[in-house]
Amino acid sequence: MEIEKGKTAKYLREKAGGVPEQAKENLKEFTRIKKLLLEALADEDLTIKQLADKLNMPSDEVVYHLMSLVKYGLVVTGEIDDMDEYFTYKLKK
Amino acid sequence: MEESLKSICYDALVIGAGIAGGEAALNLANTGYKVLLVDKELSVGGKMIMLSKVFPTLDCAACITTPKVSEISRHPNITIFTGSEVSNIRKLSDNEFAAKVTKKPRYVHVEDCTACQLCEKACPTSVRDQYQFGLIGRKAAFIPFSICSPKAAAIDIDNCTLCGACERACPTHCIDFTMETETIELHVKTIIVATGFNLFDPNNMPRYGYGKFKNVITAMQMEREIAPTRPYHTILRPGDGKVPDRIAYVLCVGSRDASVGNPICSQICCMYSIKQAQLLMGALPMADVTIYYINIRSFGKGFEEFYQQAKGMGVNFVKGKIGRISEKENGNLILRYEDINKGKLQEAEHDMVILSTGVLPNKGIDGLFENETLYLDEFSFVGQSDKLASPAKTSIGGVFVAGAATGPMDIPDSILSAGAASSEAISYIIQHA
Repeated sequence: MEIEKGKTAKYLREKAGGVPEQAKENLKEFTRIKKLLLEALADEDLTIKQLADKLNMPSDEVVYHLMSLVKYGLVVTGEIDDMDEYFTYKLKK
Repeated sequence: MEESLKSICYDALVIGAGIAGGEAALNLANTGYKVLLVDKELSVGGKMIMLSKVFPTLDCAACITTPKVSEISRHPNITIFTGSEVSNIRKLSDNEFAAKVTKKPRYVHVEDCTACQLCEKACPTSVRDQYQFGLIGRKAAFIPFSICSPKAAAIDIDNCTLCGACERACPTHCIDFTMETETIELHVKTIIVATGFNLFDPNNMPRYGYGKFKNVITAMQMEREIAPTRPYHTILRPGDGKVPDRIAYVLCVGSRDASVGNPICSQICCMYSIKQAQLLMGALPMADVTIYYINIRSFGKGFEEFYQQAKGMGVNFVKGKIGRISEKENGNLILRYEDINKGKLQEAEHDMVILSTGVLPNKGIDGLFENETLYLDEFSFVGQSDKLASPAKTSIGGVFVAGAATGPMDIPDSILSAGAASSEAISYIIQHA
């Protein structure tokens, strides 16, 4: 099989006989949660607790995924509340 | 496809590229010997490169480690194999060892990667980042961490969907999925074992609730939270993103505890906890920090002053043994403990608990050797055949040990031990030339 530089993923995909199920599941789950979080933040800036309530998702999962989205440059940190406890988060414009 | 090196020769093999292995390799290389430095991780630097600051000086750990790592990486006498493991070591004669090195594919040609991170941006997958101890995600095409060396991307093939997005985004075409595992036959004159230590897994002590209560974390996770390359924008509870203000440290988790099979003191957990407490009080001036301890062992130079400094800053020290941790509905944690001074059972509420986990041996080192026996001590650390006169000597002539592979020790002691190991190795090469 001829391997074209810059298109080697196809080579490994064919050699391995496809993509591992776990990798596909991980991608599906991350895409689903990313969509939920970005849609929830599209309307208003929210804290993690507010996001967890709105999406009916465990707050530790919101922390993990939201902080990942901050790292990936899709979400930015907003202001902290009056009690200095919870930050709000907003979409990066 | 990368060319497979079938057989290579060096003067010395250093197993483990942490601070001890790196120091030993540098000493050998500066003396003119050719060194192969092998580490199973994707970067050199070991655990130290992941730390925030060091005790008792509060110097920035990265500021100390990165020049050293840079020197190791650029040294003409040092060859580094990351993502690689050594096995099947055989002593052929007094001045010749043979070994097998297995180099796992990184799927990136390191020399061509500019660390532009465009592959990271293009990758659609996100999985837990092992270099941030699971606090945040990373992509399947990723740069391990910002100060890693070599500073190059890697592909996490187990989580990669082989979509090819990273390849299309890469301006230098350095991503190559045709790379395969390489097996290399290695011949050296001497070996330094610098395989470091493992940290106790607090999942083995369910009464502390680690893994179940999200606001119970390990000191290594807190280390990441207070490091400049932190996972969050500030210090937050992983359970709900709250800025904590009542923080507790539980010392001796999985150390000085025969019930979990580790009766020895980890030597570093008192001091790294006191260090973190001081850093937390700087980062969160309104926070209350309490340290629950059995004994504070401030035995090193400047340690007692460091402990007194923490007390002076307002860190609350409670001589108490934690029996159980439970969680309230709001994520706060109730610590039930024996107040040793008062002889009473007490309860205290905190909104975050940090478990200062103990040091364990990196097991399996003895299994690397085929025709010689590497003796381990009673705690499974690498045994020192002449602890006082030649602390780097092991039960195998020509094999030396450096750093925490011999037992728990702090960074200065690891560096000192690496100096001893490299001196012994140089002396061995000269004597058996």
